[in-house]
Order: sequence, then C-alpha cells, then structure tokens
Amino acid sequence: MSGFIRTVSSRPCSRRRPEGLILGLALVLTGCAADAELDTFQDQSETARQINDLAIPVFIVAGVVLVLVCGAILWMSVKNRVPADDDYEGEFPTQVSHNNRLEIGWTLGPFVIMVVIAVATLVTHLAINSTEANAIEIQVEVDGEDGKEGKVVTWEPRVVVVGQQWWWEYRYYLTKDITTDDLGDPWNLPEADIVTAGQMVIPTGEEVELIITSRDVIHSHWIPALNGKKDAVPGLYTPWKIEADEPGVYFGQCTEFCGLSHSRMRMQAVAVTPSAFQEWIHAQMTPATMPTDENSAEYRGMQVFSNFCASCHLINGLNDSDYNGAETVSGSAPDLTHFAGRTTFAGGVFNTYNPDGSLNDDDLAAWIRNPDDVKENYADDLPEGALPRGMPDMGLSERQIDDVIALLATLGPRPTAAQILATEVE
Amino acid sequence: MTTETSAPVASDADTAAAALVAPGDSNDHGPTTGISNTKLAMWLFLGSECLLFGGLISTYLLYKTRRGPDNLAIPTDVFDIPFTSISSFVLLMSSLTMVLALAALTRGDNHGARVWLLATSMLGGVFIGGQVYEFTSFLREGVGFTNNPASSAFYALTGFHGVHVSLGIVMLMSLFVASWQGKLRQEHSETVEIVGLYWHFVDVVWIFIFTVIYLVPA
Amino acid sequence: MTITEPTTEGPKTEGPLELESGREALAERPLGVLTRPQGGRGWRDWLSTVDHKKIGIMYGVSAMVFFVVGGIEALLIRLQLAVPNGGVLSADVYNQVFTMHGVTMVFLFIMPLAAAFANYLIPLQIGARDVAFPRLNALSYWVWLSGAIFLNSSWIVGGGGADCGWFCYSPNSGVTFSPSHGVDFYAIGLLIAGIASLVSAINLIVTCLNMRAPGMDLFRMPVMTWMLLITQFLLLFALPVITVALFLLMFDRLFDASFFNPDAGADPLLWQHLFWIFGHPEVYIIILPAFGVVSEVIPTFSRKPIFGYTFMVFSGIAIGFMGWGVWAHHMFVSGIGPISVAAFSLSTMFIAVPTGVKVLNWLATMWGGQIRFTTAMLFAVGTVAMFTIGGLSGVTHALAPADTQQTDTYYIVAHFHYVIFGGGVLGLMGGLYYWWPKIFGYMLNERRGKINFWLMLIGFNLTFGPMHILGLQGMSRRIDTYSSGFGFEFWNMVATIGSFIIAVSVVVLFHNIWKSKREAADLPPPGPDPWDARSLEWMVPSPVPEHNFDEVPTVEGLDEWWHRKYSFDDDGRVVQIATAEEAAQDGSAKGVHLPAPSFWPLVLAVGLPLIGYGLIFNLWLCVPGGLLVGMGIFAWALEPVDDPDATHDHHDDDHGDDDDDHDDTASAPVAPGDDTASAPVAPGEQQGGE
Repeated sequence: MSGFIRTVSSRPCSRRRPEGLILGLALVLTGCAADAELDTFQDQSETARQINDLAIPVFIVAGVVLVLVCGAILWMSVKNRVPADDDYEGEFPTQVSHNNRLEIGWTLGPFVIMVVIAVATLVTHLAINSTEANAIEIQVEVDGEDGKEGKVVTWEPRVVVVGQQWWWEYRYYLTKDITTDDLGDPWNLPEADIVTAGQMVIPTGEEVELIITSRDVIHSHWIPALNGKKDAVPGLYTPWKIEADEPGVYFGQCTEFCGLSHSRMRMQAVAVTPSAFQEWIHAQMTPATMPTDENSAEYRGMQVFSNFCASCHLINGLNDSDYNGAETVSGSAPDLTHFAGRTTFAGGVFNTYNPDGSLNDDDLAAWIRNPDDVKENYADDLPEGALPRGMPDMGLSERQIDDVIALLATLGPRPTAAQILATEVE
Repeated sequence: MTTETSAPVASDADTAAAALVAPGDSNDHGPTTGISNTKLAMWLFLGSECLLFGGLISTYLLYKTRRGPDNLAIPTDVFDIPFTSISSFVLLMSSLTMVLALAALTRGDNHGARVWLLATSMLGGVFIGGQVYEFTSFLREGVGFTNNPASSAFYALTGFHGVHVSLGIVMLMSLFVASWQGKLRQEHSETVEIVGLYWHFVDVVWIFIFTVIYLVPA
Repeated sequence: MTITEPTTEGPKTEGPLELESGREALAERPLGVLTRPQGGRGWRDWLSTVDHKKIGIMYGVSAMVFFVVGGIEALLIRLQLAVPNGGVLSADVYNQVFTMHGVTMVFLFIMPLAAAFANYLIPLQIGARDVAFPRLNALSYWVWLSGAIFLNSSWIVGGGGADCGWFCYSPNSGVTFSPSHGVDFYAIGLLIAGIASLVSAINLIVTCLNMRAPGMDLFRMPVMTWMLLITQFLLLFALPVITVALFLLMFDRLFDASFFNPDAGADPLLWQHLFWIFGHPEVYIIILPAFGVVSEVIPTFSRKPIFGYTFMVFSGIAIGFMGWGVWAHHMFVSGIGPISVAAFSLSTMFIAVPTGVKVLNWLATMWGGQIRFTTAMLFAVGTVAMFTIGGLSGVTHALAPADTQQTDTYYIVAHFHYVIFGGGVLGLMGGLYYWWPKIFGYMLNERRGKINFWLMLIGFNLTFGPMHILGLQGMSRRIDTYSSGFGFEFWNMVATIGSFIIAVSVVVLFHNIWKSKREAADLPPPGPDPWDARSLEWMVPSPVPEHNFDEVPTVEGLDEWWHRKYSFDDDGRVVQIATAEEAAQDGSAKGVHLPAPSFWPLVLAVGLPLIGYGLIFNLWLCVPGGLLVGMGIFAWALEPVDDPDATHDHHDDDHGDDDDDHDDTASAPVAPGDDTASAPVAPGEQQGGE
C-alpha cells in the first residue's frame, strides 16, 4: 500500500489562521509535541476545521472576558483594599445599592454576545450534520457463474461501526446498498463484504458516512483529528461522518465509559489514497489461504484455532461455513481473516509488528497466554451460565501459542514498513 | 429605622389567634403566607409527586408497545376496560365522600365525618382490591412484570399509584380511629382537609393514568 | 430614626415565649415510652436533638468526614494517573474509586455541607426560632446519614463500590455488566439520601415562606436565604425524577425488570434523560448555596450593600427555571436528533446570561468599596474568579459542534471542577470561615486561614487547570490509565502534585480548627458581630443560644441588622448609631419554649438501610427494617407534640409533618386542648423603642 505518506505525529505544528499568536500560546500549552495524536486542534479534515473555526473565536472571547473579570478583581484588590482587622474605622464608602440602567446593560450585553455565538453555532451545527457523500466506483470480485468475476460497483462511502467491550468493528457493504433501515438489530447484522477491527480504512478526500451502534453498553467513537465524537448506543443507529484531507493515520479512543477496559479501547482511522483504498478492498475481499503442509507450525496452529478459537473468531476460508457468532455477551469477536494485515490488535492497544517489521511475538504470545494479564476483562472464572466479556484464558501450551501465532502471521497482506511505523502505538 | 415602635413583636392576642387558626404553626405571628405550615408542606409534597408520576407516565408512554425480542404479551393485550372503568369510578366517588367528610367535620358533625371517612377508605379499599384482582388476572394471562419494557412500565406505574392509594387508606383509617375515640373534632378539620388534598391528588393522578394507559389507543 | 435598645434591661418578656420550659413541666407520662426525651447531655442530646443549629452542625461535621473520604479517593485517582500506565490501582478498583469519588463528593459532601448552612442559617436569617418542622429536620439528617453509611458500606459488604460512574449510564449499570452489588448500593443508597433531601426541601421551603419575622418580606430576605430557597425548590422537583430512575434501576437489577436493558427492547437513553433532568438542576443545587455565601461575604467585607439585590434574586430564580431546560446538553453526542441538539445548545447558551449578571453584580459590589481581605473574603473573591473560568468553559461546550470534541474528555472534568470545586467548595469554605465564630463562638485564625486559602487556590488551579489542556489534547475521561506518546505525561504529573497541595490545604483547615479552638481561651470572645455584617444572624450572641432570638425582631428593610447599627446623616454619609454590642440581643431570655427532642427520627432512619440490605441480600431483613420504620412513624405520631402544658403554643412542632403523611394525622387529635399554661406571661414590655 502506497498510501502512507506521512503521519499526523510527524506534522509540524503550523497553523494557518490569523489568530496565530493566541493559538501559538494555546498550542504550546497543549503540548504541541510530536506526540499528540489525539490533539483536537490538529484538525485534518473539513469537519474538524469547521468545529475549530467555531470554537477558537469563542475561546478568545472567553479569554478576554476572563482577563477583564480577573483584571477588575485584581485592580480593586489593590485600589480598594483596607486593613483586614475588624476594628477598621475608616469612613464608609458611598452606599450604592443598585443601578438599573447598568444592570440591564450587562444583562443585554452578554445576551447579544450569546445571540451572535448562537447563530454561528447553528451554522456550524447544520454544516457538520449534513452529509454530501459522493458515490465512488469500486472494483470488486464477486461470485459469478464460473468462479470469481470482476465487477464495478458504485459505493456510497458508508461504514457500519459497531462498538463492543472493548474493541471496534468496522463493516463495509460494497456489493449491496445498506442503509440504517436494513440493519435490523446490531446482534444480527447482514453479512458484510469486509469486516475488520480496530482500524478503519477510508479513502482520502471522500466524505464517509458512519452508522454507529453497539452490541453491549454505550461506547463513543472519536477520531479527534477528523471529527467530534458520537456515541455507540445499543439498539440505536447514530449517523456521523468522517473524512480526511491527506493520507495518514488518525488515532482514536472510546470516550464513553464502557466498563473495565474502557481506557484500552482504541482505534485508528487509516486514510489512504483512492488507489490504495482499491487495493485494500481487493485484499480484504479475498478469503484467507489455509496451510496444507501438515508438518508446519501454521497447520498445527490451524488445528489449535479450530479447537480453541473457532467458537468465537472467524477466519474466512477456514471456519466460515459453521460460524454462528461468538459465545460472548456481545455475540461477537474480531474477525481474524486478515489479522496480519492490521498493525494493531486487542482493541488497538498492541502492535502486531515491531518497528523493524518483524512480528511482535512477545505481545501476541502474552495476549494469547492470558488476555486478562495484559488487558483486563471479564472472561475467566465466570459464574455458572455467564458469558465472557473479552477473551478468556484458553489454557494453551507455549507450543500451541507459538503455532497459533504462526497461523495468524499468514493471515492477510503484510503491511509496508511505512505503514507499520505510522500506526505504531505505545 | 424604627424597629419596635411601629410594629410590636407578636402580642399575646396575635399568637393566641394564630394558635386557634392553625394549631401547630410555630411562628410567633402565624404563618407568613396565611396557609398553615402543614398544608403548605402537603402542597409542596404534591408538587414533587407530580414529577414522580410524570416520570413514570413518560416511561410508560415510551415503552407502551415494546414487546421485547421474545414478542411477549403486553398489558394492552389483556386490558379489561369495563372492569377498570368501574374501579376508576369507585375511586372517583371516594373523592366525593372525602369532600362530604370534610364538610361534615367543618360544621361540627362528628358522626357524619366518621361515616364519610369510613366510606372513603372503603371505596379506596375496593379500588385496591380491584387492582389486586386485575394484576393477578393479568399474570394469569401471561403478562408478567419481567415480560418486556411495556409490562415492567405498566406495573411500575400502576403499582406506585396503588401504594399511594394504600397509604391514603392508612391515613383515612387513622383519622377514623381518632374520630372513633372522640379525638377528631371540628377544630381539627384542617387535618382532614390536608389528608383530603392528598386523596384528591391521588384520584386526579389516577384519572390521568387511566386515560393515558387504558383509553388512548396504542 | 429610633435605635434598638440593648435588650438587657428589664425582664425579657414578650408574650408566650415566656412559657416554662418543657423540661421541668414534663411531669406526667401519658404514654410511657412515648414521652419525649428531655434533651439531656452529651451524645444523647445530639441523638435526639431537633434544634436546627445542632442538626446543621451534624450535617457539617458529617459532610467534612465524607470530604476526607472522597478526597482520599481523589488522591488515589491522581496517583494512578500521575504517570503513564500507572499501577497503583487495578482497572476494576479504579472504576469503583472514581465512581465513589463523584457520588461521595456530590451527594455526601457538597449537598450536606450546603444543607448544613441552610439548616443553620435560614431560621436565623429570617428571624425564626427554628424550622417549620423540627422533628422532620432531625429525620432528614438521620435518613441522609443512614443513606450515606449504607452507600459506603458496599466497600465492605457489597463486593466493592459502584463501578458505573456517578452518572451510571445504562446498560453498563445492569447486572450483566456490573455483577457486583456496588450498583445496588448506589441505587438504594441514593434513594435513601433522596428521601432526606426531599423532606428537608419541603421543610425549608415552608420555613422560608411561613416562618419569617414580622416585616421580613420575601424581598427583604438575605440573598443567601434566597439562593437556599431556590435550591430547595430545585431539590423538590428534581429529586422525584431521579427517584423514578433509581427505582427502575433497582427493579431492573433486583427483580429482573426490563427498563434499561436493550436486549429486552428497552431504550438506554431513557436513563440518560431521567438522570440529567435531575442532574442538571443538581448542578445549580450545588452552586447556588455558594452563590449565596458569596453574596453575603462580599458586601460585608466591601462595606457596601449587595449591588442590585433585585437582579441578584431574579437572576437566581432565572437560573433555577432555565436549569430545567438544558439537561440534554449532557447528551449532545448520545444520538438524540440534530434538532434537539440545536435547541438544547441554544437554551444552554442563554443560561450564561443570568449567571453573568451575578458575576458582574459581585464585582460592582466590590467596586468603590473598602475591601477587607479576611480569609472569608479571599475565598469569596476566589470563588468569583474560579467560577468565572468554569462558566466560560461552560459556554464553550454549549456550542454543540465544539462539544463533540470536548465532551467526555478531561476538558469537561476541568470545567465541572471549576464550577463545583472552584465555585461550590471554595464558596462554602468561605462560608465556614465567615460563620465559624457565629456557630462555635471562636474565630478561626486568620493567618492559618490565609495559608489554607492560598494553598487551596494554588493546588486547585494546578490540579484542574491543566485538565483543560489535557482534554483538548484528547485525553478521555474515566480512563484508568493512558499510554505515553499522546503528550499527556507532563500535565498529569502537574495535576497530581496540585491535588496533594489541596490535600495539604485541607489538613491546614483541620489544624486551624483545632489550634484556634485551643487558642480561643486566651482571646476575647468574638462577640455577636465580629465582621460588622448585615443580616439578622449577627444580632444574636455567638454561639447562638438555643432559642435563637430573645425577642423576634421586627424587620424594616433589607440588611436589617446593618441598619440597626448605622444610619445616614443629612449629607448621606454613614454614621454609626449603635455598636454591635449595643444593638445585639444578649441571649439571656429564659424559659423560651422550644420543641422537645425526639428519638423517633433516628429510629425511623435506622430502619431504611435495613430494608436496603434486605432488598439486596435477603428479603427477611426487610421485616425488622420495616418494623423499625413503622414503629418510628407510629410512635412519632403518638408521642405528645410537646409537654402537656405547652400544647397550645406556637412553638411546638410539627404535626402532619411526615412527608407521606400517614399516621401523623393522629397526632393532632392527641393534643389536649386546654391552654391554661399561658398564664405566666408578663405583658407589656415591648421594650426598646424610644
């Protein structure tokens, strides 16, 4: 994939706006360091810019008011101060009790300011709540009369975003047109062409409509550089949108408290050029190829997967024929068909690869060995009849773990070195 | 700035008068608003109750038709409107007897007051009996509290109302016993009036609930 | 222009106040055990007291205890977040700690501390001897305390505290997602505490409306009383809404109902609406009492009347009303439609107008005044400045589009701590320093007080100031840890250091209380009016005698007490016409009839948590709990209203006072009708005037 040109974190902190001075100060305060991937001021999309264009002037007005109020207090503190002892006997000041004209004035003054702000707010509010997604043409392969055949579909850029404890699922419907009305309940969504987890891939320059929901508790989907947040509410589909000017990786974090591992429920929006997006679609729609050499670690890993993992996880090309959803509270677990094509795992908290491009065996092994150790969840020692929330400790031996990792490493087109570096999480 | 000369602090006569008008008001010069403390407190309490029932009624309206994923029965499936209309009428009539009880006590008719108090609590009892019967027959017909949001909301709303009526009956019976012992006399008519306020409120709420739940079609 | 004479001369008599005290007169015991206790000494006195001042003190002391509890929880949070990937608390414990921190600080610290001031001050400021229903007042306190202890007992018996956040959004609060008993304790504990607040609200509203001294028109009430009155109205109408929500949550968790479970077809947003319809007025419930304190302290120490009393009162009322129309601004990103978002965005902006009026009026009060920077004044001025920051950041998230970036980040944490801590807590701290001599009869040391103030102000700004930055940098709320690499490290460390400075300032406060008490023996007593203040509570001795006023004052205008000390000469200059000592009452009235103490409020209150434990663990426990409650109500109604000799009197307490009103009606008929005992009244002697 050629889309990873540069990342947000490597951007210089340059601002385009006239309010440079105040902003400069604000940015120093907000630690405009290289590392601030969630910084709301480093907007990278039209929507995020519209929000900041509304907010920053109001910040400035608020700052001016604050300076005036505190200035008045300080000025009076110096000018009108008398000794604090209680037998101060100086002449009383003029006993002014009220001044209606003045008071009506400072009732109306703020009122007028608020009216101006209100109008600006409404304009921005309408702008960010309207979508003008353009249909784009995508080349896909579908089952034809004699095997796979290429076909061009028109795709209204739309991604169904599903939150569950404690990771995000992204579903792409390319070969059929899906709107909110077609989705039914979030536990039985229609089969999608592409299902991925933790990383949402979007084409640059296109407004992508998001349909956000949840399968258990309320979560909130937030990629600060691209747009504000929107809650994922079980039983409700909330519309939102996202777009990115430039190719890059935009970090996100669940922002509605969703239980134990709320802090470790993260995601990334990966914006790529339209041609790279086309490549990505192609790779994702290809089922995984399963190992055939019975003596290989991958093959043994496949057997371990079938015995221990297949009741929750899906690998398209291995257990898709008898997969009926996961035995978890949310009824879902990440689709692993293209696991190795994603650079993070376990809800966006671990890197799949080391910076040098090698597989991050240590974190993978630690995660499979005992997930609760590295990311807390409710999946072990459950009371009778309770379903897990998160991934249980399956009690695999070290060899079985190594074998599963060997299998996972084969799943999906390996990302480029640039991509690995750009998406790296701490 | 005069203080004392113009307005003497509560004189004996003032307080005596205040005490007569509203026994139990603890100000030296009677209640500032002219409404006794207890009555004012009841009005405030009823104001608060409006929001309690407002919350429950809103919940029911939101959930009215939600059968849940298992598509279980909801209360509207099994309503027996003629029956509930009769019990609602009974409750409505109890407001009339409540008025009569107060009127009797105010004119000094202790015996009449006692009879009407008893009648009021009996009518309330009939209503509660009807509600118990309704609940059990609903349960028999498969509308359980845990069925779905609609039935949970129905039982919560009508149950809360039923508890209010029951508390009202306890109050009425206390008044009746007091009257029986000769302790409820003309000068206590305000106590009856206050209980009456509560009772009328509970009735009015029921009229609202009855309309919203039973009469407005789903 | 007549001057009030000191009341020391002549017999202190005016009317029926001169009754023999019930303590001696209680000879017969018509109902044996139901005879009212005689006050007594020591702890027994505190357990049975119905004196609004003692109840206020108990509220205050309990609130400070929970301030420490909630503060320790806060420090644990800050320790955990001091560095990336903190390991002080596990995620599970962290979630319990931040939930209980919020619940404790809101329901068990600020609200009862405000209730302490309301109880203590409202009767004094309006010239009353007690609240309208003294026994109900005791009930409020004991019920609140039992709810508070119940809530915190979940740490020990409930498998940990609630872990759903103070807002406890469904369905995360359901049994599936929060299997420990913490949320059950949350629901039932807050229900119990809610009963207390509701009873107290009714009681105090009736007191404000009905118990005012002669001449004390509504628009002569001090701003403090006004703000407290508005607070009580907010409580009156907000509490039933959260009561409904908590009941439904309890039904869901304990009886398997389906109000909030989306699996069963419920709407998870219902909880949010119910919670915030309560929760937003709650913000004003927290902040308005502090506004009241500031409105008392600033005029006193600026030696000027409050600027624009009418605007102050009406802006308070406006805030109270508008506070009901803005709740959904907590839900801008929750999936409510864009039209609702727009509407609530606008309504939220305009609530800034009356709030701005208040700030400007405080400044205008100081303008041209002679400002004495006592500790209380420092706290009041600090409140104005800090609340202004909180209010302005509030405006920035009234902009719905901007709020989509800000909500649920540390920017919000910063905002509401500037409002609740910077506004509410600093204000009430000022109140403590201001009224301390009135309540306890000795002054808090000013030097240590100023150390306390500056440490608290600096610590507060170090803790919460950086959170604005962290939030805009993208740090989410309620996360138990964060990774390095987002630029969060520096400001989190600063915030943690700041929080420990706040902790030191609280230690200084407690040290000041203790040390000043020891030093007080060697200092002259503060006298009735150490600050040269303006409202009626300063015309009685410090500490306030049990009967409050020797003689209920007649009120001629706003700032009655000040006008009894000062007048204007022909040139409009202020001249002193009496010293505070001359104008004040000396508290020497004897035999003023007071409501008798009672143990039944306590008994009733003990029953409620038992019912709570019963609902959670074993329904049989509800039986003794219910019996205690029933016995409390029954005995309450039957215990003689007061000593038999005094039943006619105005100052006996409450019948018909318990809020759901059963049984108590029986108490009216019990009262014997003979009022022979009003004999020992020495008539005449309405002394004072010239």
